[in-house]
Amino acid sequence: MELFTPELGLVFWMFIAFIILFFVLAKWGWPVIIKNMDKRADTIDKGVEYAREAKAQLDSARADAQKFLDDARKQQADILRDAAKMKSQIIEEAKKEASEEAKKVMDAAKVSIEQSRKEAELQFRDEVSKFSLEIAEKMVRNQLKSDKAQTELVDKLLDEIEKN
Amino acid sequence: MNSKKLSIILAIVAMFFISPFKANASGNDEGGVNVKEIMFHHLGDGYGWEVPFSHTYRIPLPVIVRAEDGKWICFSSSRLTRIEEETDPKTGKVVEEAVPQIVTIEKDGKSYRFLLAGVSSHSNKVVQIFPVETESEKNELRAAADNDSTEGKFGIDKVVDGYVLYDGVYYKEYRPFDFSITKNVLALFIASLIVTLMVMSVVRWYTKNGYKAPRKGTGFMEMLIGFIYTGVIKSTLHDKANKYAPFLLTCFFFILVMNLVGLIVIFPGGANLTGNIAVTLVLAVMVFVVVNVKATKHYWKEIFWPDVPLFLKFPIPIMQFIEIFGIFTKPAALCVRLFANMMGGHMIVITLTLLIFIFTAFGAAATGGSVVISIIFSIFMLALDVLVSFIQAYVFTLLSTLFISMAQEDGHHESKHEKVIHESLPDEDEAIRKDGTAEAPV
Repeated sequence: MELFTPELGLVFWMFIAFIILFFVLAKWGWPVIIKNMDKRADTIDKGVEYAREAKAQLDSARADAQKFLDDARKQQADILRDAAKMKSQIIEEAKKEASEEAKKVMDAAKVSIEQSRKEAELQFRDEVSKFSLEIAEKMVRNQLKSDKAQTELVDKLLDEIEKN
Repeated sequence: MNSKKLSIILAIVAMFFISPFKANASGNDEGGVNVKEIMFHHLGDGYGWEVPFSHTYRIPLPVIVRAEDGKWICFSSSRLTRIEEETDPKTGKVVEEAVPQIVTIEKDGKSYRFLLAGVSSHSNKVVQIFPVETESEKNELRAAADNDSTEGKFGIDKVVDGYVLYDGVYYKEYRPFDFSITKNVLALFIASLIVTLMVMSVVRWYTKNGYKAPRKGTGFMEMLIGFIYTGVIKSTLHDKANKYAPFLLTCFFFILVMNLVGLIVIFPGGANLTGNIAVTLVLAVMVFVVVNVKATKHYWKEIFWPDVPLFLKFPIPIMQFIEIFGIFTKPAALCVRLFANMMGGHMIVITLTLLIFIFTAFGAAATGGSVVISIIFSIFMLALDVLVSFIQAYVFTLLSTLFISMAQEDGHHESKHEKVIHESLPDEDEAIRKDGTAEAPV
């Protein structure tokens, strides 16, 4: 059978064709392709690695920022708390001072009032005694216009003296 | 788009086979189709390359032969045949036919006569012929004819060993060394060129664009290279991958392109390359050489003194015999697997198409039915052959890689490689069995 017996000429040319193809491709073809494919794979690997690192860095930076933010917030809260405390303290102190001042003023006022009251009282007593003496004088003068009244009074006074 | 392509293929397939039928019918009074001749014509080699859709006109190719006296002679294959016009007695149509003729070459004062053998043991090959003139030569011829037990009457179409019949006259024949650039040889060169261009397109991309990823055709090519390189070669040979990658990748792409080019019906394709045992034989021999020349000491030790009980290897070298046999059967299996798969595929398509012409004898209805069925099945088979083309190229490369890796063991990490071998061998057997069943319908 023609199909199953290899033809010498075809074997020869096949050998030549394969050898030439092999040497051409082995010299200028495959090594370049394989090298470049490996290089690209490396580049991609590096890129992925870089991206991963960048992401890690970004994450850590984000964590740092968060930490700073938290600190700031805490500080703010502290400051606010201190401020509130101080405020109430100041108010308290102010109140206290004010009440003391007020008390002082009141006391002073009381004293002066007392003094003026006493003065007024004294004055008033003087006035009252003067008025009463005048009134008494006038009444006595009025009552003792008649002689009879005068006698009667003398009598009465005398009686009293006698009784004592 | 797809159906359009399919219809083109269909038309080509149909048209391609109409012409041989006509040519044959005109020369044959019985009107039947010589199935075997057409099939072998399509599967075999030829000195010219048929112009699409014609069986008469061929692209001339150089015929290079070494004559009996050692002279190298080169002439155009167009001189082997002449075109004759024949009138079909039934239809009255003029049919052109290529008829073989004697080529006479004058060289250094001597004349050499060559003929494309017809009725001869070297059918369809170029032979050098010598006239039978003297009485003693005639006696020799008669004796040879009587010795030959082939049926047929002497003088009419009988193949006589060592003689060729031309125009009713027997000539003594000599089959010269034939290094002609035949159809298959030219197809080999075309396939090599295609592979080179494909690979160089990727190389060009890299030199131009650096590490950027290629797109479209170049990208597909690179994907294929990556598929074979990382998937097959690197994963099997590991650190030795780069040493063998050029050989294995060349094998893969050469086989793939030869397979696919063989499926194209018209000019740059149409040569049944990987379905020719000479081509697969050379490939297998290459693998054999690469495997055994670069083999490690451990590999040879495993062959001549394997780790088996002593009685299996000492007085009678059973294991050695099996192992040495194995060295040759492995590449032989590669050779036959590729050959049988590709030739089988071509044969099925041709047979299916020829069914149409066989069924014409049974009337119009049978012809119509067989046309539809044959074309559907042919297209299916061709599509399957595209798949088989890829699979066979892949399998060839995969098994070659495994054989190389088996010959590269240094015995240190034996267990691991042992596993690889045991896994691979059943697969191979299965592949062979599958091949056998695939051939069955043929």
